[in-house]
Amino acid sequence: MFTTDTTATDIELDLDAALNPGEVEGLYRDSRECAYLALLAGGGALLLSPPTPRPKKG
Amino acid sequence: MDQKHASSPLAGAVHDLATEVVLALRSGDHLATVCGAAGIDEENRTGIAAVRVIGADLLLPSVLYGRHPHPGDVAVLDRAVREFPPKPDAPAATAWSHWHMISTLQRMAPPAPGAAAPGAYAEPDAAWLEEAPWQAFTHQLSVLAPLAVPAAPSAVQRAAANRAVDLSRGFVRAVRRRDWLQAAGAGRWLAAVGGEPATLGLERGLDFVEQMGGHDPRVTLHVRAARLMAEARAR
Repeated sequence: MFTTDTTATDIELDLDAALNPGEVEGLYRDSRECAYLALLAGGGALLLSPPTPRPKKG
Repeated sequence: MDQKHASSPLAGAVHDLATEVVLALRSGDHLATVCGAAGIDEENRTGIAAVRVIGADLLLPSVLYGRHPHPGDVAVLDRAVREFPPKPDAPAATAWSHWHMISTLQRMAPPAPGAAAPGAYAEPDAAWLEEAPWQAFTHQLSVLAPLAVPAAPSAVQRAAANRAVDLSRGFVRAVRRRDWLQAAGAGRWLAAVGGEPATLGLERGLDFVEQMGGHDPRVTLHVRAARLMAEARAR
């Protein structure tokens, strides 16, 4: 365990952020990861399915 | 953890603590104190804050293996409850995680006979969960993944059970976005409440999440919890 001179305010700010994290920026899978998923036998059909089509505008 | 690589002292302490919880889950032996192994005692405020982040999962090995928690861990969890109560304007998820810490303490470490009973603490509001879009619902449920444990009914757990298909969609979305912590939390909820479509392939999906995100011990913690609960349900 480490010790620092971190202030109480620092800790509370960090704590608030840790308790209420926003969503991380989305990074979509690359082909290597898709290949790994494909190797997982059985199940995972939804994980390998293409994204849900979105309605076209206009 | 090598603290040089932690984004903050708190993040480093959370990493260390989650690592010890995972070790206790893997070994099934939690007679040794989790907090002690992570170098946290009641005098270490950063460590206490880390316990507030991990929340009731500090006692997860005891909860899932049905054993008595170490008194040292109970004392530190109790200290975290008292040291970091939700502020009046705190988000609902913060109020819920605090409520669950108190609820877990009351369930796992009731006061000794003759000792003063803790005051009643009503459940926070959960109506917002029923109306949230499935993406936000999954995100919030993932933040509240420590509530996904057996025999711990709550309005959050009922909302998860009622929206298992939305959680399944959120699980897939999180995997595709490489948000491993959210995926692990959503997967843990599905393992706890069931009701996911068979085509989801939850077990294999969790394998994938651990393979890709296992460098974060909080991901491993949720995946391990999900597996233990799935095994218990299958028995």
